[in-house]
Amino acid sequence: MGYFIDLVIIGLSIGMVYALVALGLSLIYSGLDLVHFAHGEIYMIGAFIGLMLFRHLGIGYVPTLLLAVVLTGIVGVLIERLFYRRLTRAGGGYTVAGMGMIIAGFGMSIVLQNVAYLIWGPKALPFPVPYGRPVEIGNLALPMSYVWIVATALILMFVLNLLLKKTMIGLAIRAVAHNKDIAYLSGVNVPLMISLIFGIGCALGAAAGVLIGPINYVQVLMGTGVLIKAFAAAVVGGFGSLPGAVLGGLLVGVIESLGAGYVSGTYKDIYAFVLLIFVLMVKPSGILGVEAKVKA
Amino acid sequence: MLEIKDLVGGYGSVQVLNGASLKVARGQIVALLGGNGTGKSTLLKAISGLIKPWSGSITFDGERIDGLRPDLIVRRGLVQVTQGKEAFPGMTVEENLKLGAFVVRDRAKTSRALDRVYTYFPILKERRQQLSGTLSGGQLQMVCIGRGLMSSPRMIMLDEPSSALAPQVVLDIFRTIHRITQDGMTVLMVEQNVRMALLLAEYGYVIKDGVIHIEGPAEKLIHDDNVRLSYLGGTVANREASLGTGA
Repeated sequence: MGYFIDLVIIGLSIGMVYALVALGLSLIYSGLDLVHFAHGEIYMIGAFIGLMLFRHLGIGYVPTLLLAVVLTGIVGVLIERLFYRRLTRAGGGYTVAGMGMIIAGFGMSIVLQNVAYLIWGPKALPFPVPYGRPVEIGNLALPMSYVWIVATALILMFVLNLLLKKTMIGLAIRAVAHNKDIAYLSGVNVPLMISLIFGIGCALGAAAGVLIGPINYVQVLMGTGVLIKAFAAAVVGGFGSLPGAVLGGLLVGVIESLGAGYVSGTYKDIYAFVLLIFVLMVKPSGILGVEAKVKA
Repeated sequence: MLEIKDLVGGYGSVQVLNGASLKVARGQIVALLGGNGTGKSTLLKAISGLIKPWSGSITFDGERIDGLRPDLIVRRGLVQVTQGKEAFPGMTVEENLKLGAFVVRDRAKTSRALDRVYTYFPILKERRQQLSGTLSGGQLQMVCIGRGLMSSPRMIMLDEPSSALAPQVVLDIFRTIHRITQDGMTVLMVEQNVRMALLLAEYGYVIKDGVIHIEGPAEKLIHDDNVRLSYLGGTVANREASLGTGA
């Protein structure tokens, strides 16, 4: 029993990282109708920016987190404005641009990987954060980095929820995600909100990157594996649903941990997809699957 | 207050408006009538900025607004209430209303606007914390009109406020619209319910094939057979000819 609980605790911690990345994916999807395939690279860029800030500016881990998150959010907004938005020139917004936008995401992922490769090279770089001693929970010695992941993720989710539920900007974001025309007619600057939604989505991905970086080293290809799992997590929870993304992320983390602990650690990556296939067979819209949106 | 000249526009490659012109004076209630597919909603969407006109001009309070982004037009005091009672189902009545005041900086102004909307629609006040997805058709229409009023606009455009509503509900809503206009609001109303629209309005336009076909003071249009016939096709003159009944 103790072993089971240990695995669950570890699974929940890593699951929080998947949850953050999935949250960004679902947020971007609900706001832009875009499945952003470069989201893993945003996560990677966030990790690198965090590493650079930490190593070269000598600031503490918390300021590094905050700064990296904000900077990557801005990078995201620039990408959206300079590149993706051009594809909507034909009219109809992001929804109509459809497949072209998805392919652009794939292309951007390749571009970002190569830009990172040019800047930082192919090697996996260490991100040494002096966390301190592991926390003792019963028999389990939980590394402090995991505690940071859980704490930071919870704070970010709390802040996001506050933003969306209690502020006018949050109301506008929810409106834009549901029906852009009516949001426009209510006086909301929809293009600005779209950029903001994209930026926040990227910021969440970056936060995950900066949280994982110290555990797994930071390298150019770190985004690819995580994206697919975060994607699975988002779909499991209901693609486009924010609570669903969190639920999906935690489920993937736990299932993965239990799988590695009880079945086999070698094929650890497969458990996320077993879960995905199972959920798609039982409830294709995802556990907390979203209401039908008005496409506008 | 609002002047549209020779507006041409449509969707993609489909041209719907073929040079429509109309005017709404300050404080007036104007009805825009016409059958399905004649361009009524397209005209409203071109005015509110949801679609960009291909040519022609739209002037509001002396300022050209054609081609402007919809939220900027709202900021200038011109608001559209779409047909279809589109509210945000995941938001409460009050959240829906507050969204309408998005452009208003001043919290006190928003609060006063909210109180005003609740005096026009007391039912909404009772149900202010209710999710709008659970409201009836009439209540949804009230939310949509209320939301439009929240930014204290100078003119409001209503797209088929009576559609899909029971007659008593329609009567209630039209009475409230009348109250709102008595408080000084300028209204352009697209309607399929010709009789109710012309009872409420002072002036009317009938649009057909993307242009204004007939216009005139409401009392005259009510009695004009051409208005009814334009919905069905034809005019009084050729109806008599085709039925073989001479005057």
